[in-house]
Amino acid sequence: MKSERDVDAINSARGRESFDEPLPLVSLRDVNLGYDSTQVLYGVNLTIYPSDLVGVAGPNGSGKTTLFRAILGLLPILGGSLSRSCPLSKFGYVPQSAALDPQFPLSVGEIVEMGAYGRVRSFSLFPKEEKRQVGEVLDQVGLRHLTRKSFFALSGGQKQRILIARALMVKPQIMILDEPLSGVDEATRHSITDFLIKLTREKNLAVFFSSHDLEMVQRVTDKIVRVDKGRAWLEEGKRVPHS
Amino acid sequence: MSTFFEILSPSYLLFPALLGTAIMGLVCPLIGSYLVLRRTVFLGLTLPQIAAAGVSFTFWLQQSGFLPEWGQGERSVGMVGSLAFTFFGMGLLGYLEQRGKGMAEGRLAAAYALAGGLTILFIVFNPAGQIEVLNLLKGEVIALSQGELRLLAAVYGVVLVAILAFHREFLLISFDRDLAFLLKGRQVVWDVMLYLLAGLIIAFGVILAGPLLIFGFLVLPALAARPLVSRMSSFLILSSVFGLIMAVFGFYSSVQLDLPLGPTDVTLGCVVIFLAYGFSRLTARMGRALAIFLVCAAGSFSGCASRTTTVPVPDANSIHSQQLWLAKVKNSTALTLLLPATNPLRSLAEMAGKISSDYRQSVMDLLRDHLKAELEQKGFDVSLPEQKEARFPPLPADDKSALRLAREGQLSGIVFVSEIRRWEADMQKFVRVVADFKLVRIDDGAVLWQRRVQGAIPTPSATNLGQASSDAVNAIVRELFAG
Repeated sequence: MKSERDVDAINSARGRESFDEPLPLVSLRDVNLGYDSTQVLYGVNLTIYPSDLVGVAGPNGSGKTTLFRAILGLLPILGGSLSRSCPLSKFGYVPQSAALDPQFPLSVGEIVEMGAYGRVRSFSLFPKEEKRQVGEVLDQVGLRHLTRKSFFALSGGQKQRILIARALMVKPQIMILDEPLSGVDEATRHSITDFLIKLTREKNLAVFFSSHDLEMVQRVTDKIVRVDKGRAWLEEGKRVPHS
Repeated sequence: MSTFFEILSPSYLLFPALLGTAIMGLVCPLIGSYLVLRRTVFLGLTLPQIAAAGVSFTFWLQQSGFLPEWGQGERSVGMVGSLAFTFFGMGLLGYLEQRGKGMAEGRLAAAYALAGGLTILFIVFNPAGQIEVLNLLKGEVIALSQGELRLLAAVYGVVLVAILAFHREFLLISFDRDLAFLLKGRQVVWDVMLYLLAGLIIAFGVILAGPLLIFGFLVLPALAARPLVSRMSSFLILSSVFGLIMAVFGFYSSVQLDLPLGPTDVTLGCVVIFLAYGFSRLTARMGRALAIFLVCAAGSFSGCASRTTTVPVPDANSIHSQQLWLAKVKNSTALTLLLPATNPLRSLAEMAGKISSDYRQSVMDLLRDHLKAELEQKGFDVSLPEQKEARFPPLPADDKSALRLAREGQLSGIVFVSEIRRWEADMQKFVRVVADFKLVRIDDGAVLWQRRVQGAIPTPSATNLGQASSDAVNAIVRELFAG
């Protein structure tokens, strides 16, 4: 698995036009996506660089989550080529909070700690340094005071921010957020999008998120991947890209 | 009757059984918690049943001559079958899960039904005593030997260490498979590890404690803990604590009330679930008050608040009467309770129908002989009613009937009545007994002393059923006269 990733990185590097151009984190060329023999998306072309803020917009069932799952390696591609220049453990993934099972008795602190599980060895206690880090990422999303609260007792917006904090705990190079703005009020939408913009500008993170609200996606992103009826195409966003 | 602290003493004869139950109660809920959270509770029911099918299958094979006699005891043979069937069943269910065809619940339900059916069929096929196999399947943890306890402790110890070591991985794979893949790679490794640990505790637990108890320990403590916690760490700890409470108090209740352990523990577990849901609806203050009340109530029930005393048979002087009629011991069981013959020639003759079994001594005879000797030690002048009337019947423990018969037989003074209501001896190193004893004054019908002996009487050194019964009689008489 590791060697495949290394090859991906080398191939991506070879595709650069000059060494001044940053290495793309994710690159898809003529990728076909789907499940078993059923294709959902055809000929997807997309390149994501550090500090990019990319939105995916399209109606429900158009293939947004399928695209995410392929990028995260959770779904094999049916054709074309997909390369990543960073390991999967550097992908901060924010699933839809509704996809998580409320049967689990988990506090906010325990949810965020999960982001560090890739670094913490089995047979060891959770390190103090990581505990400090949990506090820091919760500070970043402004919810440190909820550390001991039950995760599933929070509002939709709070849950999204906690899941973003968990993704940040991974120390990611790229964040992928599946419908982070669904089921949250207008004020929370603004605070989440502002926070995502801040991440791209201050932390040099690439952010790739989906929404079915095209207008909002156009307002906040550098580029938009529109998906509909099996096709995906790129559009420029209205936000001035951060150089 | 043992008080609660007596059963906790290492010198208590059933202490290995208690310790074994406690180990299972402590470890099973840790695995069961993940089964509950992953919504695969039915797996906790199906796997023990598959293990039980494995036990009955190996016994059938062995009794039919397809497997050699290993000589390491019946449970070792059963353990092999239990392990093999559990892991085969898990592998098959896992394979079907990977293929993703059909409903998961449907597969588990079908597997449970098939395993249940096969268990019974293999028992029916078994030419050597179905009751013996059924007893093994029931998993009488009370008969746990030191060697089995060590094996149980070793296996469950390994499982406990693995759960503690990989709890983060198990949580991640159970809660968010996508994140688990990103951070830890292939999820299937952790799934297999979790189910492997579940298989181990189930396969070993079923042969030692039976499928019902193992299912109860896997699922009920976790269900009870869930409404009371909002943190995963607290959930695992509380599940384990509830499992331990189920194990210890269930064992105590089982011994005190002479009830089978599995159903007692499971019933107690369900009570704990109801209490937990009740607690979760109370305010913090009311919850604390109720908790204190329940602890006190449990303390009183368990005998830590007041120690129960048992009164021994009084001396002849203390009841101012030396003349005592020792009635025949009444056998109210459906069994003859005859002890095995010591003379092999007589046994052969009896088997050939040449002589009747009347020559053999019964448990009642043995008990009466021991009672007579002890009563004489207490200063009584013991007479036997049949000396007065050769056909004098045994007297029941029921006061009125005993008095009526004694008066009809023109006895006077004091009569000692004994009645065996239950006597189950098997080769599992204990005899289950319920027996009543009374000293009744015939003139006015006053009951001067009475005592019920109830419970599983350990007979660890018995090598055959006769010796087990004989040891149990000795233990009963000791208990009656020593207090």
